[in-house]
Amino acid sequence: MLEIENLAAGYGEALVLRDFSCRIAPGKVTALMGRNGMGKTTLMKTIMGLIRVKSGRIMFDGTAIEKLPTHHISRIGMGYVPQGREIFADFTVAENLRLSLLGHEGGNVLPIEQIYDWFPILKERAEQRAGTFSGGQQQILAIARALIGGPKMLLLDEPTEGIQPSIVHDIGAQLSRIARETGLSILIVEQNVDMVRTLADEVLFMENGAIQERCDIETLRQDDSLLHRYLSV
Amino acid sequence: MSELIPIILDVSSYILILVLVALGLMIVFGMMGVINMAHGELFMIGAYVMVAAQNLGLPFLAGIILAPIIVGFLGLLIEAALIRHIYLRPLDTILATWGLSIALKQLVVLTFGPESHSVALPVDGSLELGAFSYPLYRLILMAASILLIGGTFWLFTRTDFGLLARAVIARPNTAASLGIDTRRMYRWSFVIGTALAGLAGALVAPIISVDPQMGLGYLVPGFLSILVGGAGPLAGVLVGGAVVGGVNNLLAVWISPVAALITVYIIAILIIRLKPEGIMGGRRAK
Amino acid sequence: MRNNLIALLVFAVLAASPVAIGGYWTGQLTAYLVYGLLAMSLSLVWGYGGILCFGQAMFFGIGGYIMAVLTKGMILPELTSSYLGLIAAMAGSALFALALGYFLFAGRGISGAYLAIITLAMALVLERLMNNWYALGGYNGLLNVPPIKLNFFGASFELWDRMPTFYAVLAVVALVYFLVTWLLSSAYGLRLTAIRTHPDRLASLGYNVLTIRLSVFALSAAIAGLAGAIFVTLDGFASPTLIGFTLSTEALIWVAIGGKEMLLAAFLGAILTRTAESWLSEIFGDYWILILGIAFMISVVLLPKGLLATPLEKLTGSKRKKTR
Repeated sequence: MLEIENLAAGYGEALVLRDFSCRIAPGKVTALMGRNGMGKTTLMKTIMGLIRVKSGRIMFDGTAIEKLPTHHISRIGMGYVPQGREIFADFTVAENLRLSLLGHEGGNVLPIEQIYDWFPILKERAEQRAGTFSGGQQQILAIARALIGGPKMLLLDEPTEGIQPSIVHDIGAQLSRIARETGLSILIVEQNVDMVRTLADEVLFMENGAIQERCDIETLRQDDSLLHRYLSV
Repeated sequence: MSELIPIILDVSSYILILVLVALGLMIVFGMMGVINMAHGELFMIGAYVMVAAQNLGLPFLAGIILAPIIVGFLGLLIEAALIRHIYLRPLDTILATWGLSIALKQLVVLTFGPESHSVALPVDGSLELGAFSYPLYRLILMAASILLIGGTFWLFTRTDFGLLARAVIARPNTAASLGIDTRRMYRWSFVIGTALAGLAGALVAPIISVDPQMGLGYLVPGFLSILVGGAGPLAGVLVGGAVVGGVNNLLAVWISPVAALITVYIIAILIIRLKPEGIMGGRRAK
Repeated sequence: MRNNLIALLVFAVLAASPVAIGGYWTGQLTAYLVYGLLAMSLSLVWGYGGILCFGQAMFFGIGGYIMAVLTKGMILPELTSSYLGLIAAMAGSALFALALGYFLFAGRGISGAYLAIITLAMALVLERLMNNWYALGGYNGLLNVPPIKLNFFGASFELWDRMPTFYAVLAVVALVYFLVTWLLSSAYGLRLTAIRTHPDRLASLGYNVLTIRLSVFALSAAIAGLAGAIFVTLDGFASPTLIGFTLSTEALIWVAIGGKEMLLAAFLGAILTRTAESWLSEIFGDYWILILGIAFMISVVLLPKGLLATPLEKLTGSKRKKTR
């Protein structure tokens, strides 16, 4: 689905990722874990074309995307839920969703009813300004906004950051269901172990701009030494 | 009382034209962070389209239709050849468009000569209501300006294009990751902004003297209107234009044009300094 | 300092040039040197201080008017000393800059595009003001400004003839150049660079950002004022065009084409642009301004560091590496 080879990227002269390589299998939920500052968000932004690639290549579903503009990457099926959600606070919920529909016009978009079916709260509050939402509701909106464009793969950057634990679980369960139903591939950057255990099939551990270890979720459930090694400060 | 009404109408029509010019500037500035110093020259070229149309014997309305098309097309060329290369260097856009304004001004001097031209009024009469009399074209001009301003507001607040544009202004990266082609939005917003300037120039041509230096007289008040009103919400332009244009015109009538200009610039600078986000709020320059 | 060596070379060539170009062009070149001084002042405040000033001619004009008013004896008939005039011109411009700068930069200061628009508006205001200030000649300006009178050790000498005037102006320009270069290579220059790139960081290190900004603004204004004061003695008159918008933007073009981040490039930018203008405007006529506008655009887009600064930097940069 997503193959990254010898990627180098960063801000200005400073490279955050050097010679980064990894493969994300189709139809699975892959979690990317690691301490802060290890390059996870940089990786997500680089995949989306928001940070310029210095060298290396990124293949997505058979297309080289490392030189494509962001909107093009989005249109060929890469959904992105950025860190901090970045919803349009002044717009209504419906307008936030409409934006994504307009951005993917002519593509493989989902009917809005499907989105409302998955996330009924968005239907109830369609005309409410998104800025009045709680953190968890904004996160749901950000996910729905990415899904409505009919992505083949979804990038989620720290979706549980600053959100009540009860909603975290709901979001995890719902995403898991959607992934199973639709065959959507997900790459999720996450610090919250519960979320990873609910959702992920496979876990990658990142340190110093490279993948250090990968394991499946069963291994992680039985043995949490990897978590200690890569997450504890 | 009856002497006051024509003054109020004169002031209002000046404000409306200023708002039209400022709206185009603001679309470009608010959206791309680009300061277009050649905006006044695009306005001037709009007026010269009317001069050319008159020389060619074309009807007035043809000029009004041609002006935004020609100037908008010029905007498209400018965006593709110049602005596109310096989006990420906002201060350089000031300088580059300044060079452009010099070149455009001189191009007009070379084509039409340095002297001023006049465009005949398309309708000659006055509106007479008892003791009150006011030139008909000025009333038409005001109505047209109000329609245009309203239309621009409608475009940016009620349509899908407006939704996309506001999204690109608020969060360009997020908009792009939703599949929105931000560069394309920039381009068309720039074209709309320049076409508005051209149309404003064409509309106002019959009531002013058209000369190659006229742009600056609208550029600076236009910018001051934006900064005074606030570069965030569109309504800021209305307030800013009313303050800058209103004070300027009223003082010009009551004291002298020179005192008016000096006073209004100083008032505007004071407001911008003391309230950098503008009267109506919004973001500051990058 | 290879940089200084190249500057010395430039000034030596300028000093030798009257032999080759003759009397008329020496007179022209004297005026261009003064424009070069104005360009240096703009390069200092814009390229080094990070303050994009769209109205640099304000300070030039203020200096010019102060010089004219004083040496014509309009204030005190017995106080017409050229020295006093020059000092007052510099001080007056600097004081105006301090007041304007304090207003603009204190607290939540104004920067970037806003600053450009406001300084542009200020220049327009001053130009309008001078056009209508009849005590100062209004639109026609002040005529018959006397030439600079130098007094040393009892002997007095008027800068009237072309050659002495040229060399006196060249000496002043070179002196200012080397003084400013020396200042920029000191700790002050380092602070200016820091303020341009990371003002917040410098503030958190305990430096007073406002003081540094004001000082560079005032220093630049003093240099522009000096240039204006010299300028009015060359032609013998001060007019509103000195203070206004056209000269401000011309200065901006010279500095942008030359290279704002390099004093010498900005200085040469003014001289070369003016020289090109007097040559090419004869050949191209009205097309010259069109060409200038297009050249300005191209240099901003393709050579943001400046047309002259790019090769000059290579020259000095490559030599600097060898010395290390």
